[in-house]
Amino acid sequence: MNARTSVCEFALNVVGIEKAYGRTRVLSDVSFGVKKGSVHALVGENGAGKSTLVKIITGVIESDAGEVRLNNSFVRFKTPTEARAAGVAAVYQDPKLFPHLDVSENIFMGAFPMTAWGGLDRRTMRERASATLRQLGVNLDLSSLVAGLSMAELQFVEIARALCHDLQILILDEPTSSLTPAESGRLFQIIARLKAEGKSILFISHRLEEVEAICDEVTILRDGRHVATRETKSLNRAALVQLMVGRPLEAMYEKRVATRAGREALRVERLGLQGVFADVSFTLRAGEIVGMAGLVGAGRSEIAQALVGMNPPTEGRVTLNGKIVTPKNPGQMLREGLAYLPEDRDGQGLITAESVVDNVTLPIIGTLAHLGLIDRDRGRRLAEEAVGTYKIKATGVDQIVSTLSGGNRQKVAFAKWLATEPSVLILDEPTHGVDVGSKAQIHKIIAELADKGLAVLVISSDLLEVLAISERILVVAEGRLVAEFSREEGTQEAIMMAATAKLEVADVGV
Amino acid sequence: MSAFEGKQTRVGVGEFALRMRVTGVLAFIVLLGAVFAMLSPRFLNPQNLAIIASNAAILAIVAAAQAVVLLTRNLDVSVGSIMGFAAYLTADYAARHHGAGVAIIGLAMVLGTLLGVVNGLIVAYAAVSPLIATLGTMSLYRGATYLYAHGRDVTSNELPHWMLSAVDFRIVGLPALPLLSALVVVLIALFLRRFAFGRQIYAVGSNPEAAVYYGLRVKRVTLFAYAFSGLLCGFAGLLYAARVGTVTVVLASGWELSSLAAAVIGGVSVAGGSGTVIGAALGALILASIDNGLVLLSVQEFWRMFIQGTAIVAAVAVDTLIGAQIRASLVSRRFGGVRA
Amino acid sequence: MSARAIWRPTAWEAMLVVLIFAAAAWSATLSPYYLQIDQLLYSTRNFVIPGLLAFGLMVVVTTGEIDISVASTLAVASVALSKFAAVGAPIAVAALLAVALAATLGALNGFFVARLGLPSLAVTLGTMGAYRGLAFIIGGGMGYTSFNDPYLYVGTELWFGVVPASLILFAVVAAGVGFLMHKTTFGRRCFAVGMNKTAAWISGVNVDRLKITAYALAGVLAGVAGLVWIGQYGSARGDNADGMILFVVTAVVLGGVDINGGRGTVLGVVLALLLLGTLRNGMGLANIAGPTQTVVFGALLLIGVLRPFVAGLAQRWRTPPSDPFSRRDDTEQTSESNSITNNITRRSAL
Repeated sequence: MNARTSVCEFALNVVGIEKAYGRTRVLSDVSFGVKKGSVHALVGENGAGKSTLVKIITGVIESDAGEVRLNNSFVRFKTPTEARAAGVAAVYQDPKLFPHLDVSENIFMGAFPMTAWGGLDRRTMRERASATLRQLGVNLDLSSLVAGLSMAELQFVEIARALCHDLQILILDEPTSSLTPAESGRLFQIIARLKAEGKSILFISHRLEEVEAICDEVTILRDGRHVATRETKSLNRAALVQLMVGRPLEAMYEKRVATRAGREALRVERLGLQGVFADVSFTLRAGEIVGMAGLVGAGRSEIAQALVGMNPPTEGRVTLNGKIVTPKNPGQMLREGLAYLPEDRDGQGLITAESVVDNVTLPIIGTLAHLGLIDRDRGRRLAEEAVGTYKIKATGVDQIVSTLSGGNRQKVAFAKWLATEPSVLILDEPTHGVDVGSKAQIHKIIAELADKGLAVLVISSDLLEVLAISERILVVAEGRLVAEFSREEGTQEAIMMAATAKLEVADVGV
Repeated sequence: MSAFEGKQTRVGVGEFALRMRVTGVLAFIVLLGAVFAMLSPRFLNPQNLAIIASNAAILAIVAAAQAVVLLTRNLDVSVGSIMGFAAYLTADYAARHHGAGVAIIGLAMVLGTLLGVVNGLIVAYAAVSPLIATLGTMSLYRGATYLYAHGRDVTSNELPHWMLSAVDFRIVGLPALPLLSALVVVLIALFLRRFAFGRQIYAVGSNPEAAVYYGLRVKRVTLFAYAFSGLLCGFAGLLYAARVGTVTVVLASGWELSSLAAAVIGGVSVAGGSGTVIGAALGALILASIDNGLVLLSVQEFWRMFIQGTAIVAAVAVDTLIGAQIRASLVSRRFGGVRA
Repeated sequence: MSARAIWRPTAWEAMLVVLIFAAAAWSATLSPYYLQIDQLLYSTRNFVIPGLLAFGLMVVVTTGEIDISVASTLAVASVALSKFAAVGAPIAVAALLAVALAATLGALNGFFVARLGLPSLAVTLGTMGAYRGLAFIIGGGMGYTSFNDPYLYVGTELWFGVVPASLILFAVVAAGVGFLMHKTTFGRRCFAVGMNKTAAWISGVNVDRLKITAYALAGVLAGVAGLVWIGQYGSARGDNADGMILFVVTAVVLGGVDINGGRGTVLGVVLALLLLGTLRNGMGLANIAGPTQTVVFGALLLIGVLRPFVAGLAQRWRTPPSDPFSRRDDTEQTSESNSITNNITRRSAL
C-alpha cells in the first residue's frame, strides 16, 4: 500500500492503542481503520473497550501507547474541543446541549460567527444552520428552545453542530437507544446523506440488525483486543456473535456445584414500569443463583431497581417469601428482606468518604442502638467480623473506603447489605471494576451465600461469569424477558443471540 | 409510541412556560394594577404612577445585576453593600470636589466593579459557595464603608447641585430616572442576547457540564458576571444617593432581598440559565407597585417583607416545577423503552 | 467516628482553642476586670443566642441543606411570647407554644425542601423575609417590654450567684445536640445523607423525614433562642436578631462544618462560638464600633470558608503518599461517569 493510497483510503486510523488502569488492561494493541465515506461499526460486549477507545480518539483521555491518525497524519487531541476543531466529533447518549438556548445558539456555542462590531452575526448563524439542517434533511425551527425538542431532535442538533465545524468523522455512541423506530429511520437517512458527502461515520451499537443494515464494515473488539474487521456483507449474525464472544471456555471461573434449591423466595409476575420494561416474570428459590444477562440498556438494572423500590413498578405483582409486597422505597424493601447492591458501587452503593465500619453499619443502625443511642462496640465487632469473613484487605475498620481497592470496596458493600440479613439478594455487576483475584473471591462469597439459603440474582455483563455461577440464566432485551436458559443449555453465543434478537424493525432505507 | 408522545407534550409545556415567563410577568402586572386600581382610585393617578416608576427604577437596575449573576447559577447578597460603598465614597468625593462633574459616575462604576471582581474571584476561583462568599463580602464592604465614613453622613447640601437635580429631571414631562433605568436594562438585555459572552452567561448556568465540554471558560464567565453586577450596583448606588440626597452609611441595606425577590418574581431562575433582565426589571416594577398599593391602602409596611418573602418562595416553586421538566427532557433514556 | 473525622478537625479545633486563649488574653489587657469570674460568665451572653441558632443550623447543614431563616424564626418566637405575656399567660405554657410555633415554621421549611424539592438556599432566603415580615405583623411596630420576671428568667437569673441561667441552658443544649449528632442513629443518618444522599436512601434512610426533622429542630432551637432573647434584652420586636445570621453562619463555618454537608463536629461549633464571643466581647471592651466588628466577622467567615482551598493548594506541593491499598483500577464504566456533574451540582448547593 503506497502512501497515496493510504491517504485517500482511510479517514481515521488507530494504530497499536494501549490503555490500562492500574493492573487492569482495557485496550491491547488495537489497530484498525475507518475508510473515507464509509459507515464503520464498532461492536463488542460491555467492557470490550469501545467507550475507552472513543474517549482516546476524541481527546477525553490519553492512551498509554499507540497512535491516532487523521487522514494519515498523526494527531493527539487534548480536549474534545480540539478534536472537534480538527473534524472529529462524537455524539453521545446524554445530549450535551443547553436547554435554555435556541437551536442555532446551541449549534454555534463556543464558535459564534461575529459581526464587525463584535456582536453575534445571527444572520450568518441562521443561514449556515438552516443550510446544515437542510443538508441533513431535518426540519427544525432555529429559534425554538432546545428544551422543547424530542430526543431525536436533540441528536440531530448535535450532529448539525458537528457538521457546522468541518466534520470529517462522526462518532455515534449508541445513537438509537433512546429513539423510536421512526426516528431511528430518520437518523439512518441522515447517515446516508453524510456518507454521500464523503464523511465517515463510526457507529457504535449493540443493535446488530442496524449494524447489518447500514454499516459497510464492522470492527469487533473483545476484552480490549481487536478481533477482526470485516465487511458486514461477509458475516451472518451467528458468525458476528461468535467473533464477539467466542472464547475458549476454559475454566476461567470455577463452576458452582449446584445444591438443592429450596422454597420459593421471590416471585415476580408481569412486572412493568411504564416506558421502561414490561411483562417481566420469574422466580427465585432459596439457595439458587440466577443470572440476568443482556446488553447495557436492556433494562436489567431498571427491573432490579423497580423491585427494590427505587423506581416503583407501575404494574405487576411481587411476592417475597410468600407475602405480597408493593415496592415503595428501598428502606421498606430492605425491611422485607430484599437487598440490592447497585451497579454504581461508589456512587450509590457505598459512601466512600466514610469508614468501613460506618458503611457496614448504616443500614442496620437502628438495630444497633438502644433508644437511639448507638452501641459503638457492637458495630465495630460486626464490622471486624465482616472484615474477617470476607477477607477485606484494610488496615482496620476505621479505614476510609475510598482508599480501598475496587475488590475490597465491593466486599465492604457485600458486608453492608448482608448485615441486614436479607432473604433475597440482587447483585448488579458485582465484579465490575474488580481485579481477577478478587473476582474469584467474590464468586466464592456468592456461592457460600446461596449455600446458606439466600436467593441470589446476579446481573452481569460478563458472560463467562454468568455461565459459571448461575444455575439459570435470564436474558433481558429491550425491556422484556426474552429467554431463559438452564446451565446446561447456556452458551455465550446463545445468550448473546437472545440478547441481540431484534424486536422491532427500524425503517432503514439506506 | 405513547410513552414518547407523552414526553413530547410534557417537554412542550416546559418550553412554553419558559417562553411565557416574561409575558406571564406582564400579565401579572396588569392584573395587580387592576386590583389596586379597584381598591384605591388614586392608584392610577399619573403622578402616582410616576412615583412608582421612579421607585422601581433603581431597584430595576439592581435586580438586573442580580439577574446576571443568577443566570450563571450563582447569587450575590452583597449588592446592597456594593451600592452603599460606591455611593458613599463617590458622594464624599463629589462633596469635596464640586467641579468633578460627570466623571464621578465613572468612579462609582469602577468602585462597584472592583468589589464585584473580588466576589467573582472568591466564588469562581476559590470555589466557595456563592452564599457564604457574598455573605462575607457583604459585611466586609459595609464595614469598609463605615471605616471610611468615620461616622459621618454626607448631607445633601454638600453634594453638587447638578447631581441632586439630575434625578428629578424630566424629559417630555416624564421623569428621567425611569427612562434612564429602562435604557440601561434594555442595553444589558441586548448585550446578553447579541454578544457571545452574553450567551455564554446563559450557557454556563443552563448546563455547566456541557459548558466545560464545549471548552467555555466557566470561571472567567462567572468572574465577569460578578464584575458586571458590581458595576451596575455601583451605578445604581450613585443614583440612589442622588435621589435621597443624604448619604448614610447604611444606604441600601436590605436591597439584597429586594433585588432577589424582583429577579425571581420576574422569572429569573435560581438554577441558572433561564430568565431575562427585562423580567427582573418588571419584577422590580411589581414590587414597587405592591409597596405603593399598600401605602395607598394604609396597610402597614410590615406586610411588605412578608409579601416579598412569600413571593420568592412561590416563584422558586414554580421555577423548580418548570426546571424539573426541562431536566427530564435532557436525560437520555438508556434503552428505547417498551413499544407496545 | 471514622479515622479522618478524628484527626483532621482536631487540628482545627486545637487551633481554635489557641485562638480563644489569644483572644481572651487580648481582652484581659483591655480591662482588668475581664478575668474576674463573674465578668467572664457575664460575657457569655455574647454567644448564647447565636449559639442556639448555630446548633440548629449545623444540624441542617450536616444533611446537605441550609437554613438562613433561623434568625427570623427567633423573632417570630419572641413576639409570640410577648403576645402571651400581654395576656398574662404562665411562662411554661407560653414557652411551649412559642417553641411549637417556631418548630412549625422550621418544619415548613423542611416541607418545601424535602417534599417539594425546592433548593434550600432560595427557599430559606424567601422564608427569611416571610418570617421576618410575620414577626413584624404579629409584633407591630413598637416593641413590647413589659415582661414579668418568669419570662425574663432565662436571661437574667444567676445560678449559684454567678452562673447565668442562659449559659446553663446553652451547655445543656450543646451537650444534647452533641449527643444527638455524634452518638445517635439520627445523627449518623444526617451525616450519611449529607455525604451521599442517594447511597443513604438506598441504604434505607428515610431522607425526606430526616430533613424535615432537621429543619424542625432548627426551628425549635430558634424558638428557645427567642425565649433567651427576651430574658437577655427584655424586649420583643419584629426586628429582633436582624442581621444575626452572619454571626451564626460564621460560627458554623469556622467550627469546621462542611457547608456541603456530611462533615463537622458540635465541639467545633462550640469552640467557634467561644472564639467569636470572646472576640466580640473584647472588641466591645476596646470600644471598637459595631460596624468594624461586622467587618471582622465577615473576614473570619471568608477565612473559615477558604480554608479547604488553601489546604488544597498546600496539598498540591506535596506528592501523595503511595498506599498499598489505594485503588488504581478504573476500568471501563458501564454506567456513565458523572464525576464532573457531581462536583458541579454538589457545589452549587442553592
